[in-house]
Amino acid sequence: MSVAGRTLFTLAPLTALVAVLWVLGTQTLPFDFGWDWIPALDIELAFRIDGLSALMLLMITGVGVAVFVYAGGYLSGHPDQKRAYLLLSLFMVAMIGCVTADHVLVLFVFWEGTSLLSFLLVGFYHERRESRKSAQQSLLVTGTGGLILLAGFIVLGQAVGSYRLSEIIVAVPAMAPTPALTLAMGLVLIGAFTKSAQFPFHFWLPNAMAAPTPVSAYLHSATMVKLGVYLLARLDPAFGEWPLWVWLLKGVGSVTAAWGMVLALRERDLKRILAWSTVATLGTLVVLVGLRGESASLAVGALLLAHALYKAPLFFVAGNIDHGAGTRLIDRLGGLRRQMPWTAAAALLAAASLAGLPLSFGFVAKDVISEAKGLGEVFTFARMANTVFGTIAVAVAGITAVRVFWLRVPPGGVREAHEGGAALVLPPLLLGLVGVVLGVYPLLAQDLLAAAAAAMSPAGAGNAVPAPLDPQPDLGSLLLGLMFGVAVFLLWDRCHRGLEWLAVRTGRIGMSSVYERSLEWIPRVAAWTTRRMQTGSLPAYVAWVLASVVLALGVMLWLGSAEWTWPARAVPSPGVAGAAGLIVLGAVFACLMRDRLVVLLSVGLIGYGSAVMFLFLGAPDVAYTQFTMETVFVIVAAAVLLKLRRMGLDRAVPEPAWRPGALLLSLLVASVLTALLLAVYATPFDPVLSAFFGEQSVPGAYGRNVVNVILVDFRALDTLGEVAVVVLSLLAALPILQAWRRRARARRPGVGT
Amino acid sequence: MTSRIVILAVVARPLYLVILLASVWVLLRGHDEPGGGFIGGLMAVSATILWAVAHGTAAARARLPLGDALWPAVIGLLLAALSGVPGLLGGGAYLTHLWWTLALGPAELKLSTVLLFDIGVYLAVWGALAGYALALLAVDERDQPGGAP
Repeated sequence: MSVAGRTLFTLAPLTALVAVLWVLGTQTLPFDFGWDWIPALDIELAFRIDGLSALMLLMITGVGVAVFVYAGGYLSGHPDQKRAYLLLSLFMVAMIGCVTADHVLVLFVFWEGTSLLSFLLVGFYHERRESRKSAQQSLLVTGTGGLILLAGFIVLGQAVGSYRLSEIIVAVPAMAPTPALTLAMGLVLIGAFTKSAQFPFHFWLPNAMAAPTPVSAYLHSATMVKLGVYLLARLDPAFGEWPLWVWLLKGVGSVTAAWGMVLALRERDLKRILAWSTVATLGTLVVLVGLRGESASLAVGALLLAHALYKAPLFFVAGNIDHGAGTRLIDRLGGLRRQMPWTAAAALLAAASLAGLPLSFGFVAKDVISEAKGLGEVFTFARMANTVFGTIAVAVAGITAVRVFWLRVPPGGVREAHEGGAALVLPPLLLGLVGVVLGVYPLLAQDLLAAAAAAMSPAGAGNAVPAPLDPQPDLGSLLLGLMFGVAVFLLWDRCHRGLEWLAVRTGRIGMSSVYERSLEWIPRVAAWTTRRMQTGSLPAYVAWVLASVVLALGVMLWLGSAEWTWPARAVPSPGVAGAAGLIVLGAVFACLMRDRLVVLLSVGLIGYGSAVMFLFLGAPDVAYTQFTMETVFVIVAAAVLLKLRRMGLDRAVPEPAWRPGALLLSLLVASVLTALLLAVYATPFDPVLSAFFGEQSVPGAYGRNVVNVILVDFRALDTLGEVAVVVLSLLAALPILQAWRRRARARRPGVGT
Repeated sequence: MTSRIVILAVVARPLYLVILLASVWVLLRGHDEPGGGFIGGLMAVSATILWAVAHGTAAARARLPLGDALWPAVIGLLLAALSGVPGLLGGGAYLTHLWWTLALGPAELKLSTVLLFDIGVYLAVWGALAGYALALLAVDERDQPGGAP
């Protein structure tokens, strides 16, 4: 792809960034806008930009610009670079929609969009098995979570009576915690937790590192995985007073924060180390959402911003190392500062923020967090989790910025490396610099974060003066944390070995293996049902179908307990009586005869009998269709039978003359159908639909063929959907059929090309 | 070619044309008389299958619009989907159909987005089911010497 093309694509996030800045500069928040979407269902494309949305928007578009520039260098020369850009652009749109949507169902649509695009982007290197597996995993986890979220949204919307987020957060605090609301809360929590990789759904995020580095930086650290946190922060005003909500957030978040960081110690791959530290940060964010008070909200905003500003550049650094040195394994890296000075500088800037060193924005965030924890009630476990988190964060910062750049090259390590071009170096440097600038002048971010905090805890928005971003360093605890961190950094390899030793013994307990095992169960269950049901024996199929019909209809009739009216006794007309006689005759012959051809003709007699009956009951069109159908069927089946006879394959399978099972089944089918007819007969015929279509066909749709008018006009959307299914199924079937054909050819030696 | 039935190969040409013409006729009359895009498309599929049996799947595929089953399928789907847009622009719901009459001397021609929709359905059914049929037939097909794969 040419530089011009790359520039053109990069204009997309740049334009979005400018637009966001323009809106923030000219409009007062919250800023509402929207259009009608499905008025019949009261679904409106409603959007609302408040402080929290503004913060997310700036991160999405700002980091987006860096990612687009970086992707230009990182994927330079890759044949599918255009696809990456297209997917990234679509992803950005979905993200923007997600963080601005005010209607929960609109939010859900964009939410699913991000899951789907994440799937496509994780699987970008689709020729690698590992990528495909990771993509499938991330889609299964976040996609299932998305469906659960949808269920939660619907329950929530029905319970509250509104699907607008802005109305839900006002209405819920005044409501009693009914079971429906509790259910909705639980479902929404699961949805948010899967998206933000909270324990026990944490395992998909590190595996998603199979994606190209720009994608990892954008989706799996700076933006998409924060959607769960965003949603929790959005709904926090609604459920914030519920003890269950608070405890779940604090508990799950703490476990994730501590466990994620510990698992980082197990990794040797720079990107996976960073991924686990992302998981841990998300956990910390969830805990912070669970804390009460304005300062906690401020802390959420600060950590969101700080994390985007340091983690994205660190991913870029990992990508540069991969690009320049050919590996991301820390065992083979060291002393890269000579070959990659700019990347080393960017790594230092970003890692300072990750470690929370003074004069970095991470330091400011850390300070606000500790202040929030000082004010809110935090149980001991959460404190310990936070300590683990902070300590290992320092160690991770040391690994990414010090070990690979400043320590000597390990034996057998990479000695040849080169620095990337401007597109690879500028984005991490720039984001890292922004982090430092905000660290030195935190007041620059004051308004933005205060607005975001006000959106998260609207109760105090009106009067409370937002806590100032003025770091009050507690030097003692800072030094202590750093010392512990440095200790873990120095002992990293030893910790790693220890954890590996443990993992070998507990390997099958982890969530990852639970996932693997459940995935293995799907084909196993499918194979079992296939073996049971698809036996290849036609009588067995017929038995299955008829038994299912009996069961389904029987249960429905039983539950419906419809009144059955016995029709008044009347003498049937000779025509109907004759037709019925034909049917009975055919049925009896079919049972008694042994020769297949004769049986076929007897069955044909049943069909003709029904056609005659239709004729006498005033449905000539149905009768014609039945006559045609029956004739074609008998001819085709007879042809097949004759052909089989000529091939000598017509030997009858020995059959018992007396089959009580078949008799029982047919009696059951007959009684259920009779009962059904009686039930139908008891309900008065409701002609409203046929009358409507009959009346409206000509004046409304200018057509006299009512059937076709329904298909193409009244219910055209259904038809469109059906046709789309037919076409899409062809797309899915063609490769299979072609593969089948190739295999069939391979089995015919000498014929294939 | 030798393995194919000669009479069928000879008859196929006129029959193919007649079936296709009939399918178009069924498609166009569908709004007032029995017929429509779906059944018309099915008839066209039978014409394609006839050609495939007589001359091989590759030849039948080449006879489809734009030379492949996917094209008519996709174009038909797009056509059907787009036929709903004018109604949307006119202020109605998606797929609200619009009608125009074109005076042609003594007769008048009814034009509508419904017709567009029905043609789309016709093409989509033809393409999709012909695609299935040809791919299935191709599985058991022996390569013709010198013929296209």
